[in-house]
Amino acid sequence: MSNPISSRCAACKYLRRRCPQDCIFSPYFPSNDPQRFAYVHRIYGASNVGKLLQQLPERARSEATESLYYEALCRIQDPVYGCAGIVSWLQQQIHDVESEIAKTQAEITVFLNSTVNISEPNTQYSRTNEQGMENLTNKHKEPLQ
Amino acid sequence: MGGNSPCASCKLLRRRCTKDCIFAPYFPSDDPHRFAIVHKVFGASNVSKMLQELPVHQRVDAVNSLVYEANARVRDPVYGCVGAISYLQNQVAQLQMQLAVAQAEILCIQVQQEPVIMPTSSQLAATIDGTDEKSAFLLHNNLPAQYLNFASSSNVTHESLKRESFFGHDMVS
Repeated sequence: MSNPISSRCAACKYLRRRCPQDCIFSPYFPSNDPQRFAYVHRIYGASNVGKLLQQLPERARSEATESLYYEALCRIQDPVYGCAGIVSWLQQQIHDVESEIAKTQAEITVFLNSTVNISEPNTQYSRTNEQGMENLTNKHKEPLQ
Repeated sequence: MGGNSPCASCKLLRRRCTKDCIFAPYFPSDDPHRFAIVHKVFGASNVSKMLQELPVHQRVDAVNSLVYEANARVRDPVYGCVGAISYLQNQVAQLQMQLAVAQAEILCIQVQQEPVIMPTSSQLAATIDGTDEKSAFLLHNNLPAQYLNFASSSNVTHESLKRESFFGHDMVS
């Protein structure tokens, strides 16, 4: 038993075949969005997509289809790096921001140290005085790592 | 490459490896897993078409990125590479918040040391307002931002994503 010609899913329309009632593609590739299947098919191939979906539990197939579509779109827009290019860019972002954080925390340490060094040695704010450490005000913080 | 030693692709596909085999430079016979995984996810025919559409000097990077994506998809069949992107975006957002807090702290310390000089509202805004480069990048590339909220399957190791590189050199030193 197959769906009427008029209600074939986008995949079966594209592949020019009958759309069975249990078509693996039809819940995820509605006929009103033909480009979605076209992109996924172009990058992965209908057969590979079908196999992948069949290996997943039904509750996961919608998300899997969305991610396949996203990756296909990335690959079409960037045929050399695809989605991996975005991963690489994000990794670089993480590296840059971590460096900036380390630099900023080092500056904070310098500021705090300069504040302590300005104080008289026998005051309660002396860092070398263990007793003094207990008397520090709440505003003093441990040097950041 | 061809002759006596078929490339990994031709071995797997059980065909003759010709001198102008499009796969041979990128799928040497000593690493059969590399082609196997790309073939499993994308299909040899699709990979061949993709490579043919690219100039020769870009094919190495293209193959490396396809291998990376194929590996990601095998590790996480539901979200693939997109799961990694989602995770890394969250990391970037958290780190940017940490940076904003640290920069605001420096401003506070400076204000305490020089109480006469008050930071201008634009200075405060500059430390707190993190430039949302991610969204700008994604929108510039017409990539749907709605896909950024993917979770990852439970068996993905996230820490390695920060350092994993597919270009043969560390993107993150």
